[in-house]
Amino acid sequence: ERISVQSRGCLLKEVHLNVTDLGLGYQTKEELIFRYCSGPCIEAETNYDKILNNLTHNKKLDKDAPSRTCCRPIAFDDDLSFLDDNVVYHTLKKHSARKCGCV
Amino acid sequence: PAVARENNCLNAAKACNLNDTCKKYRSAYISPCTSRVSTAEVCNKRKCHKALRQFFDKVHPKHSYGMLFCSCPISDQKACSERRRQTIVPVCSYEEKQTPNCLELQASCKTNYICRSRLADFFVNCMPDPRSLSGCLKENYADCLLSYSGLIGTVMTPNYLRSPKISVSPYCDCSNCGNNKDECDKFTEFFTENICLRNAIQAFGNGTDIGIGPQIS
Repeated sequence: ERISVQSRGCLLKEVHLNVTDLGLGYQTKEELIFRYCSGPCIEAETNYDKILNNLTHNKKLDKDAPSRTCCRPIAFDDDLSFLDDNVVYHTLKKHSARKCGCV
Repeated sequence: PAVARENNCLNAAKACNLNDTCKKYRSAYISPCTSRVSTAEVCNKRKCHKALRQFFDKVHPKHSYGMLFCSCPISDQKACSERRRQTIVPVCSYEEKQTPNCLELQASCKTNYICRSRLADFFVNCMPDPRSLSGCLKENYADCLLSYSGLIGTVMTPNYLRSPKISVSPYCDCSNCGNNKDECDKFTEFFTENICLRNAIQAFGNGTDIGIGPQIS
């Protein structure tokens, strides 16, 4: 099971964008609020992360570089629908974060 | 002019997606109204209608009416008016394979509790009166717009017709009426040629509606 820890550094942020800014290939003039997770997760690190840090540093894992604690969405925002320039509706799912955690 | 012409219907859609409640209930009806369920059916109409009723029930009129009653210049029959016509996803919520007779549609509405009461409200609250300044017998545009939007998601779901002036109608016509042609024409004209409803929609679109203003500010 995935363990997540709330951390002071890992926060939900938002930015007001055009749908075209997302780079998903849609042609529309509609807009959205995109929310994302950002910030350090050092406080939430476990012995596992410390060990990985030490092993990577001491070159004991060959060329592997396993991921350490990341500030990631642990819940996603509601779906977003919009009408494109050719009068076709599209709905985006799991496109924007609702809640963040160090996982 | 130096400033590009504003598309009010696009602006309303932008405003909706920047509001969490409007965005949520908008996609909650667009999803079922645009999901093909089989090769024969473009969507599940029952689910589409239910989600549309929820949208108008839960979303602040500032946003829901903003999209439904946005004003478009007569010169613009594409970007703005077509977007307004698409608000209810007509391919699912409105159109049928065959056009029913309006009196038959009315009879089918009366067998449903929600449809019957909402149609009755619409006939009361949007009753035209050419002698009144507002064009309405009950001089309350807000009540007329509420009753009209209440029909969306019933078998009487109305939509804008492709016409230069504001004209709306449920998906039906008066062919094959026989002796009831006059009665049927009267019924459709309450939608297509209703001065009270047209004034109410225009007043909202122009931001001159005194009846709704304070409630939605």
